Amino acid sequence: MPDKKKVPLIEGLFTWPSDKPQLIASRCKKCGALFFPKVPYCGNPDCPKDKANMEVVNISNTGTIYTYTIHQYAPAIPFKMEPFKPYGVAMVDVPEGLRVLGMTTTTEGLRIGQKVEMTVGTLYEDAENAYITWMWKPVEK
Amino acid sequence: MTKMREVAIVGVGMHPWGTFPDKSMQEMGVEAIVAALKDANMTWRDIQSCAFGAYMWIADRGGIPSLLMGTSIARMMGETGIPMVNCVNACASGQAILREAVLAVASGHVDTAIAVAADKSAGGFFRPQLREARPTKFDRGAENDTDYIRFCMTGETNPAYWAMELKRRMYEVGTTDDDLALAKHITSFGSVHNPYARYRKVFTMEEIKASAYVAEPLRLFEICATSDGAAAVIVTTAENAQKFNKKPLLVNAITVGTPTFGDPTIRLTFCSSYPRPGVPDLSESRNAIAAIYKMAGMKPSDIDIIELPDNSSWHYLVYLECILQMKKGEAEKMLRSGKTHPITGELPVCSGGGVAAQGEAVVAQGLSQVCQLVRQMRGECGEGQVKKTKLNVGLAQTYGYAGNNAACIISRAW
Repeated sequence: MPDKKKVPLIEGLFTWPSDKPQLIASRCKKCGALFFPKVPYCGNPDCPKDKANMEVVNISNTGTIYTYTIHQYAPAIPFKMEPFKPYGVAMVDVPEGLRVLGMTTTTEGLRIGQKVEMTVGTLYEDAENAYITWMWKPVEK
Repeated sequence: MTKMREVAIVGVGMHPWGTFPDKSMQEMGVEAIVAALKDANMTWRDIQSCAFGAYMWIADRGGIPSLLMGTSIARMMGETGIPMVNCVNACASGQAILREAVLAVASGHVDTAIAVAADKSAGGFFRPQLREARPTKFDRGAENDTDYIRFCMTGETNPAYWAMELKRRMYEVGTTDDDLALAKHITSFGSVHNPYARYRKVFTMEEIKASAYVAEPLRLFEICATSDGAAAVIVTTAENAQKFNKKPLLVNAITVGTPTFGDPTIRLTFCSSYPRPGVPDLSESRNAIAAIYKMAGMKPSDIDIIELPDNSSWHYLVYLECILQMKKGEAEKMLRSGKTHPITGELPVCSGGGVAAQGEAVVAQGLSQVCQLVRQMRGECGEGQVKKTKLNVGLAQTYGYAGNNAACIISRAW
């Protein structure tokens, strides 16, 4: 049976399809601040509210774990993971200076300061598709 | 604008916290209002202005009438034509509406005002409003709903966020599993004689540490339970306060705190932050605290009793430091010293068992903290009365997600 089509749960948050998926963010050309997901205006109170100042950028797909947790309980709807198993959630610092959330691909061996790489993982499937999200994968012990 | 008038609290009323499947939010709100009116020796017709907490999870229960809480409660209390506003600042809503009531009196707009919040939050994790795991064609705007994105695509529940902040704290200052259990254990001593608390018992260190991880390193008994509850607070001019209540409490300061740009925290309902040098974490909470000290002309050592938002054991530690403006890591030492014991402490913290025992009824939470302070400062808590006798100045702070915070300082005015 062929692999199901991998479809982002919500479109437009990361580059897809891609061999090297990246989060899609907004960057302010004046002050350099980054925002994920994209925003129409820079959130810096000292920057003019001019949409022309904002550019769409793809964020580095590598980073460092700032902190994390292993979530043991199944959250309520609308969260859907089938089959449910405990999962990791991390805050990851990427080189551009953005701190960003994301699940981890594993619950084993995570640590603060660990290098991670962005990938995708499946939350659940239906008859046609596998619904995916972005995830952080440790690339060192 | 003319100079603001001094304002005092003359009536507090609460419906107990817990689960009340047979009551509507409005019914609970009416009970709280009736209790507050009795406490203030007033009738409903004496109230000239109202600020209501607007319920947030209307897709689950309550619907639009609970979002427009004011006029739906007025249908039961009786419509008297007075101004009513409905306000949401997440868990900080209670004190946000108290601020509205205080300002209505302080400004001279009216002489008596009430803040009322009723909430049915019982039922597990707080979650986004949309119901489908994947947005349907009816769910326009889901791509901008960061609450939905964080919940469905990163699995970040509220306890997951708290646990991540806690994990980092453990890494930075060495907070232990025992510290977390101790925060819950010690605080629970305040709950035993609090008639409004949901859990009125002392939790032992053993049972806390035996409870399952929700989001490691936070355990089930180290996280507050979502609950139902309602509370009301009546304010009037300080000048006339004693006509209504022999023991009024002056509102020295009350504010709503919001974040500073560059805060490193990825606040709940958001997916990223852009940390900037010199901007502290929890800036919304620190901003609120700095503001009320300045407004009141006070400092941490002036405070005799504290209600802090112990939504989890992590909150207990960081909010103790926030309120007392201590360095990171000092809260654990103070906790271990027993100084903050809710009943016997030199500086009682969460004298009614805190949010841990009370449970969390989102929009009403801030008001319940103020009610607890008022009851203690008046000396009305019976067997649950704190041992400390000098209770001139009290401080309450409420945590709210998405960068919402509120805090107040009240003092004895009799």
